[in-house]
Amino acid sequence: MATLAHPDEPRRPNIATADVQLPAVKDYEQVDREILSILQPTKAWFGGLLIALACLGLGIFSWVYQIHQGLGVAGYNPPVMWGVYIITFVFWVGIGHAGTLISAILYLFRAGFRTTIYRAAEAMTVFAVMTAGLFPIIHIGRPWKFFWLIPYPNWRLIWPNFKSPLVWDVFAITTYLTISTTFLFVGLIPDIAVLRDRETNPIRKQILSVLSFGWRNTEREWRHFARAYLFLAAFSTPLVLSVHSVVSFDFAMGIVPGWHTTIFPPYFVAGAIFSGFAMVWTIIIPMRRWFGLRHYVTLNHLDATAKMVLFTSLVVGCAYLVEFFIAWYGGVKYEQDYFWNRVFGQWWWAAWIMLTCNMILPLSLFSQKLRRNPTWLWILSIFINIGMWFERFVIVVPSLSHDVEPWQWSSYVPTWVDYGLLIGSFGWFFMWFLLFVKQLPVMALAEIKEIVPPKMKHKHKSHGHGGH
Amino acid sequence: MMQGMLGVFAELDSTVEAIEELKHKQVGKLTVFSPTPRHELEHAVDPPQSPVRKFTLIGALSGVCFGYWIAIWGSNYWPLVVGGKAISTWLPYTVFGFEVMVMVGCLSTVFGMFYLAGIPRLTTTVGYDPAFSHGSYGVWCECAPEKLAEAEAILRRHGAVEVRGDR
Repeated sequence: MATLAHPDEPRRPNIATADVQLPAVKDYEQVDREILSILQPTKAWFGGLLIALACLGLGIFSWVYQIHQGLGVAGYNPPVMWGVYIITFVFWVGIGHAGTLISAILYLFRAGFRTTIYRAAEAMTVFAVMTAGLFPIIHIGRPWKFFWLIPYPNWRLIWPNFKSPLVWDVFAITTYLTISTTFLFVGLIPDIAVLRDRETNPIRKQILSVLSFGWRNTEREWRHFARAYLFLAAFSTPLVLSVHSVVSFDFAMGIVPGWHTTIFPPYFVAGAIFSGFAMVWTIIIPMRRWFGLRHYVTLNHLDATAKMVLFTSLVVGCAYLVEFFIAWYGGVKYEQDYFWNRVFGQWWWAAWIMLTCNMILPLSLFSQKLRRNPTWLWILSIFINIGMWFERFVIVVPSLSHDVEPWQWSSYVPTWVDYGLLIGSFGWFFMWFLLFVKQLPVMALAEIKEIVPPKMKHKHKSHGHGGH
Repeated sequence: MMQGMLGVFAELDSTVEAIEELKHKQVGKLTVFSPTPRHELEHAVDPPQSPVRKFTLIGALSGVCFGYWIAIWGSNYWPLVVGGKAISTWLPYTVFGFEVMVMVGCLSTVFGMFYLAGIPRLTTTVGYDPAFSHGSYGVWCECAPEKLAEAEAILRRHGAVEVRGDR
């Protein structure tokens, strides 16, 4: 079978993605030894953390400056009162989509290529949603009143409007963050037990004992664990689809040209999965190289993810074109004018960055040679990240700056404060991820062991795959 | 007083054979350890189906009721009156029903798993060996003192790399 060849062999025939094997991983001891070796800090890791902290420092400085000076230092220019902060909020929520997609939906579909990448993607999800959650707070200008966003009944004349998409958003994001974190932590429990059993430092051992909840790897524990994991996956699957649908309602419920369209929920969900997978590449591809994990995240795994990216890119590209069709076929002059202005007028540069990065460049993935080229996939992931940020820019800014009333048409230029907070968000995200990588296994030890053939006394008995 | 005998195995099929014989001879109550879930062990132990799903169902139903209720109650208690619009309406409130259903359903599933698996647990020491999280399989046979020798013999016969008594 193709997948049993050397993992880094450059060209292979197409493979069934549900049966991705790890031929270079021989036994359970090797899994523990190689994956836990990542936990040792290196100079490169300290360097990465330093860069992340520097970016975070810039973000903190920008935010403190904005709090001191007022929201006017951001680039808002009426009626463009949603800008970089809302764009970045939607961007990070989108990034957070791939983790639960990989860990839940692909789990239910028994897609084998998820096994070695899902832990990193889940952690990415949690940290991305943590990052996204900051931006509504930054956007309101007076962050000490952020709890007004929470629609709790009270006696201070803040009446929750349960028909508002913004209130739906609070519920959706809170649920998503809670469930993603739960999913990540539940999956980590058996792996923390592995760390606990190998730890020699008594203080760390105590901490790991508490975090592992006294997990003992009994059949009883695994049986309930597997069942619970299945139900968590089943619940998370519609959650993945609902969260970005609800985020899209923030726009689609507004009677603004370019926003008021029923295509937004599937368009946003596909875009979120697309950008999330790109960020998984951005993280995983350097990791597999620097930590010597190319026999865990093989070219077959990357090939399979590339097919997902290609598919979602085609969906997103189709949505871009359908938007134009709807504007033309709907016959609404404001819509037609807006879309013309988006692509050939005031915002042509942003729209063409979006179209090039999200529609044109991913077409390269029709080539198997490029799908199996990690360097190209990493470069493409950066383009997709940029393109998906600009997609949200193109949705937010051109609509608000080119509304139905010509007298209020305007422009929007982000200031250094906006850019500082954007860069700071990357610093915040990567700081958490780098800390995670050095504290907990970034690949699921127990699940990888499931696909490694167990030791047998009788060689003729092949028990194949275990697992739940 | 009940005591036990622990067998540590390197091979999966040896573990399965030991479990089958211990069960067949009804030597004692078995606890099986493995670094990863294996169908072979589950078939050998043949446990009842996990009732985690009941926690999931109860949690999800409670969640969906609470989600709708909080939105309807909040709207009626603090009404935002808009001409021609109902004060409470089920369609937008389905978002709350769904989101709270997922949240409570998932959290109750995790609670159910913890409760049924008997975690959190303060100690892992009785009948446990750190090798079980690494690469070895284990069978802990809790039995009466007069059956310890039989349990030990079965474990050794099936190739346990280490057999030791514990209490």
